[in-house]
Amino acid sequence: MALTSTLLLAGLERTINALLARDPAAPSRLTRLAGQRLLLRLKNPELALAIHYHPHGLDLLRPEGIADEAYDAVVELDAETAGALLGGASMERLMFQGRLGARGRLPLLEATRDLLLDLDLDWEGELARWLGDIPANSLAEGLRRLGRFGLRTREEFRADLSEYLVEEARLLPGRAQLEVMRDHLTELEVSADRLQARLARLHRRLAEQQAKRVAP
Amino acid sequence: MSANPSSRDNQTTHFGYQEVPLEEKASRVADVFHSVAARYDVMNDLMSMGIHRLWKRLTVERAGVRPGHSVLDIAGGTGDLTLKFSRLVGPRGRVVLADINESMLRVGRDKLLDHGVGGNVEYVQANAECLPFPDNTFDCITIAFGLRNVTDKDAALRSMARVLKPGGRLLVLEFSKPPSPLLSKAYDEYSFRLLPKIGELVANDADSYRYLAESIRMHPDQETLKAMMEMAGLERVEYTNLTGGIVALHRGIKL
Repeated sequence: MALTSTLLLAGLERTINALLARDPAAPSRLTRLAGQRLLLRLKNPELALAIHYHPHGLDLLRPEGIADEAYDAVVELDAETAGALLGGASMERLMFQGRLGARGRLPLLEATRDLLLDLDLDWEGELARWLGDIPANSLAEGLRRLGRFGLRTREEFRADLSEYLVEEARLLPGRAQLEVMRDHLTELEVSADRLQARLARLHRRLAEQQAKRVAP
Repeated sequence: MSANPSSRDNQTTHFGYQEVPLEEKASRVADVFHSVAARYDVMNDLMSMGIHRLWKRLTVERAGVRPGHSVLDIAGGTGDLTLKFSRLVGPRGRVVLADINESMLRVGRDKLLDHGVGGNVEYVQANAECLPFPDNTFDCITIAFGLRNVTDKDAALRSMARVLKPGGRLLVLEFSKPPSPLLSKAYDEYSFRLLPKIGELVANDADSYRYLAESIRMHPDQETLKAMMEMAGLERVEYTNLTGGIVALHRGIKL
């Protein structure tokens, strides 16, 4: 078990460092952060993670036997808040809502988030390192064209499939038909409600008349 | 490796499964490591399928090293632990990479320089049995896959306890005895049949890797090593079995 979590952390650390190595803006940010330590305490699931910055990336370690005071900043949050934070939610708002507890140097948390969210990978540059400038550019152009072709094909396929199912095979209703049918259903629902109310009123009136006839 | 009590009168100790004169062991171990130094990292990766990196990573986590600490990495070999420690202690701290073997130390130094590690790392060729440092010098001492090659383990543990600061930690990462008989059997087959073949193919040196397997079997088991650490003056000694006990990480504190 100890090695499983160690393996996961090692994999995560390697991935992040590999990504940072391909971001032209990362070295200057890492130089500013080098030597600083951030402790993340996650609730549900219970997990503590120490991030140590160095000029070439970061080390992810499970803190053991190290007091919180030894870290530049300590952050306590749950998984949902971590997701919101990485999704770009305002740190101040999360703190005011009581979902994010932080002490120490708060700019370190902000810098960590910026470092991870603002990753801009120069993958063409990495290709050029292996293949040379011209082949890398041709390959990158080819991949971009392929990507655009993929997107266009996907859109066209979706439109063609929709047209076939709705117009030709008539297996599904079109959007306009669906809207009309929904309006009709709503109208029917309202009419049924009114009828039910009228019936209830008639039942009530009948019961009152029968009660008057029985009475002397 | 500590001299076998029964054979101490004859001044012999074991070198793998062989009995050799006490003074001969260090030079024979040195020959093994001179021979494997250049391909040590590749062989480690091959033999352990890369798991040695996780064992070492766990050792770094358990070391609890902080910026400004002094760390001694004994038998540091090619500097895997030193590399991590040098980042953790920062420019105010220091890491001493010590190894008795000059070839290993040279490979380790070159590798660390290639990784841009320099300012806070020192290199010392030293025998673990008589460490050349004043008392109470280091906040943390590690010895990874080195203790079994030491001629007198008790003397080495006493020496480490001496140079450790009060409150400092000693971590011993070493091959050990898997408690499961099934795993033990499979491990024996791997060590004595496959390992020398890999050594022959990759490093053209089957004998050194046969010695490796034999020395692992001659190394004390988890409980014995724990008792040895306690005898050396360390307290709160505990160990964690890794990969089914093939390797154990012992940790003791000097109080």
